[in-house]
Amino acid sequence: MVGVYRELEGCMQLFVHVLRRLHVLRLPPVADVLTRQIYFTGASATAGIVLRGAFIGTLIIAYVINVLDADAALAVKILLWVVLREIGPLIAAVLVVQRSGAAVATELALMTVSGQVDSLRQMRVDPHDYLVVPRVIGIALSNAALTVYVQMIAVGGGMLLGPVVIDASFEELADNFFRLATPLDVAYSLIKSLLFGAAIAVIACYHGLNPPGRSFNAVPRAAINAVTQSTLLVMLLNVVFAYVVYGVLFFGLIKAEV
Amino acid sequence: MNADPSVEDARPVPHAAEAIALAYESTAEVAAGFRISVPQGGCRRVEIGDAMLKAELCRAVLDMHPGPGRRLTVLGAEVGKLAAGERAALRARVGFLPAAGGLLGNLNAWENIVLPIGYHSPRQLPKMAQRVNALLNRLGAPPRALLGKLPEEMTLLEKKLTGGVRVLVEAPDLVLAEDLDDGLDAAQRGTAARLAEAYLATHSRGTWVQLEDGATT
Repeated sequence: MVGVYRELEGCMQLFVHVLRRLHVLRLPPVADVLTRQIYFTGASATAGIVLRGAFIGTLIIAYVINVLDADAALAVKILLWVVLREIGPLIAAVLVVQRSGAAVATELALMTVSGQVDSLRQMRVDPHDYLVVPRVIGIALSNAALTVYVQMIAVGGGMLLGPVVIDASFEELADNFFRLATPLDVAYSLIKSLLFGAAIAVIACYHGLNPPGRSFNAVPRAAINAVTQSTLLVMLLNVVFAYVVYGVLFFGLIKAEV
Repeated sequence: MNADPSVEDARPVPHAAEAIALAYESTAEVAAGFRISVPQGGCRRVEIGDAMLKAELCRAVLDMHPGPGRRLTVLGAEVGKLAAGERAALRARVGFLPAAGGLLGNLNAWENIVLPIGYHSPRQLPKMAQRVNALLNRLGAPPRALLGKLPEEMTLLEKKLTGGVRVLVEAPDLVLAEDLDDGLDAAQRGTAARLAEAYLATHSRGTWVQLEDGATT
């Protein structure tokens, strides 16, 4: 219990540090790390993540529409509320956890046990400024971008697949979708994906900088801790987010009316 | 290089603080006493037989925090009497070269060299290419061959030279070089020794302290 509290406290401190020290992103070495992180998480992974996201999104659409025996209006609502608002950000986040969360935790844990983090301190470079701030911002931005890709592909795939399983044309589905969708839907999923990305990165950085030991055996354990905990946190945040937005904060404003 | 074995038994020896680049000593209440004292200016080689003491000295200087029962003087200032801000300012005047160069594994030599300058004084970055090239040429390390290498592709000497150049471009008033000779053959030691020469050529009032293993005298 004490360990869990310590980890939560450590992650919160890292997150606060990131918010307080955003200005270090202007420093050339930190900006380089940010660029590399965005390239690694947002660019080089795009094809694989979008493809996997599209498969999952399209599968959900086909399955749900078929099971519910939906008409065009219901199919569009499912696309909007399930895929755009919920599944899109969640799929992107889970895929980013698997790839970037594990990579960041492993890289930082290796740097910690091999004394490279100490080298930064010896150069009077704050490891949190140089290692954590650009990774958290880079992963949060990349996760938001990947979410948009996944949403576009999954919704597009659903619209393409819809006419095969229900009695509605692509034009009808698209027309209904753009009539029903609001900027609030996009803002909701973007804010959520930014938060997911930041949470994944903070947990990965925390476990990378605090591996359970100083030997190389601690490196995979740090990665496992980061992946399991950030997956759990993403799911938890999704539930809290859905409850706050649908249940309390905007109740009635964007409440689903199926 | 001046040989200056300067580890002595602990005695309250009065000294002119201004002339001291680095002093580390046990205070009177500690039974097993010692005193390490390095005067300002030039290149000093300090041999310390006790590896723990050497590590403790490095840590005390890097953290600007003498442990209990210890007194640390850096560049004429007794660290224990300084406020936090003064310690930070004093720390900024000290450069440290670890035994294996202290390089980051995912950065090439050039990125490693300019990392602290880019973090602390980004306005100086445009001048760095010329300065680093000049330093590497002086050390006999061809910049074109070295600067693109990752640490895993470097020899130990190249790692030490890269770490050394990283310290030199910051022009600190005091440089602590830890085990610079360690793991090098005689010819390579000669090359590594050029780091101190290059430092003193560009920073005539600086002090280069080389901490090595050896019989404590």
